[in-house]
Amino acid sequence: MTISWLQAILLGLFASLSSMPGMGGTSIGNYTLGRPLVGGLVCGIILGDIATGVMVGAAMQVVYIALVTPGGTVSADVRAVSYIGIPLAMVALKSYGLDAASADGAALATSFGTMVGTIGTVLFYGTATMNLLWQHIGWTAVEKRNYKQLYMVDMVYPWISHICFSLIPTVIMCKLGANVVDAIKVALPMDGIAMKTLFTVGSLLPCVGIAILLKQIVRNAADFIPYLFGFTLAASMGINLVSATVVAGMFAILIYKLKLLQLRKPAAAGAAADFDDDEEDI
Amino acid sequence: MTEAKKLSKKALTKSFHNWYYGNLTCFSQEHMQTFGYLCAMLPLVDELYAGNDDKKAEAMNTYTAFFNTEPQLGTVVVGITAGLEEARANGQEDVDDETINGLRAGLMGPIAGIGDSLVVGTVIPILLGIAMGMSSGGSPMGPIFYIVVWNLFAYFGMKMLYFKGYELGTKAVEFLIGDIGEAIREAVTTLGGIVIGAVSATWVSVKTSFALFNEAGEAYMVLQEKLDSVFPGILTACFVILCWWLMAKKRLSPIKVMLLLVVIAFVGVLVGFFDPGLTY
Repeated sequence: MTISWLQAILLGLFASLSSMPGMGGTSIGNYTLGRPLVGGLVCGIILGDIATGVMVGAAMQVVYIALVTPGGTVSADVRAVSYIGIPLAMVALKSYGLDAASADGAALATSFGTMVGTIGTVLFYGTATMNLLWQHIGWTAVEKRNYKQLYMVDMVYPWISHICFSLIPTVIMCKLGANVVDAIKVALPMDGIAMKTLFTVGSLLPCVGIAILLKQIVRNAADFIPYLFGFTLAASMGINLVSATVVAGMFAILIYKLKLLQLRKPAAAGAAADFDDDEEDI
Repeated sequence: MTEAKKLSKKALTKSFHNWYYGNLTCFSQEHMQTFGYLCAMLPLVDELYAGNDDKKAEAMNTYTAFFNTEPQLGTVVVGITAGLEEARANGQEDVDDETINGLRAGLMGPIAGIGDSLVVGTVIPILLGIAMGMSSGGSPMGPIFYIVVWNLFAYFGMKMLYFKGYELGTKAVEFLIGDIGEAIREAVTTLGGIVIGAVSATWVSVKTSFALFNEAGEAYMVLQEKLDSVFPGILTACFVILCWWLMAKKRLSPIKVMLLLVVIAFVGVLVGFFDPGLTY
């Protein structure tokens, strides 16, 4: 599997749209096109293998399931994960003859994606720094009361930052990366320590993604129970994700009602009539 | 006194769309969402102060102050300032630069906190979890489900927040920080916890290859089987909890935890605890 110039440029275009801060905007760019699961579909369409793309994307999605960028600090760059990492992982899977649906395929994809995503933070800081240029133009425009210029500053000039830090790096990485993937195959045998470590790391990395999410939910040991409950549903009882969500929804409703009752107890005792009004808000 | 100025639906909608699309397009570490905010206020200021350049400049100047929050939930703040700007244009005396920027600065933090944990940290992972469940075998149904559901939710949710903010002013945020908001947060957090548990059991697989062999070369103790008979997937759960402990209790950054996992993997491979068992 090789990546043509046209394919590489298309990937670069999606990288420009999807990064944080991307030209697709926050909701469509960062939180839709930037998610590895969606990126997998897009890469699959561009490279002509949707099934592999989606499976690679899903595997990487676990690592970045809780990618929050509080106050503009990033630990990984979505454009690099989704539009450099996924295409290269797809090339690697084909080259090494691995099935994307297998645990090993997922581990390889995760290792590749995370490596590229971590290095990709450079692109994030590059874009953000170059945008200072356009913002400088913006401040001058505000001083001169030339407000129409603000649209150019906010929505047009940043494209130049993205050509420099999203499109070109993606094209280069995708074109060069395919050769590197083959070189790795020759240099490092699959049963050697390096490749074994790479695959093992790939299977361990999603734990970090899950843990980042848990960090926001879990304050003490008892808070682990909902997590382990969900884990048990899937691992021991074999319930699939959609059904598990329905079961979880049932508990969520119970907790909502209990909590509301608990919070409103003093008020409800005093004014029972008030309670009827509040029902409408739910 | 002249007739009170009222923002047209058209100007408000344009303002909302400018924010919806442009809130972070020109991001820098220094000004973050400031330019997105300026673009969102421009159609409103244009309409309210048409033909009065000095007033227009004065109003725009207000919004050159730094702004950054969770941009999706933060839409409510833009809506609230739209209402305040309208009040100021009508000569309401208690609305000035200080009130507007005081309010913006005061809401930035709490909205970012709620938005990051509720929208980005819970709603998106739940939707992604369901979508991943629908992607088995590489089916495009999962990503398509996520694209449709998330974008409808984000667009109409943000639109509602904007207009609620405009109509109700600061009352709009009381919902978020009041008791219904707290009950929703608690419920959604539990929902998220359960779904994430199911996601990790389905998609994360940490396995050991460690086994003890008898003299005939048969394995009489396969560690993975023993562990799974205690609690299926226990090794995966332990590693997740280990990572949580390192980040939450030991305050390690995610990058450091990842590097530590590389070390664990390397040592594990050397001692034969981990072995993917692959050949070309």
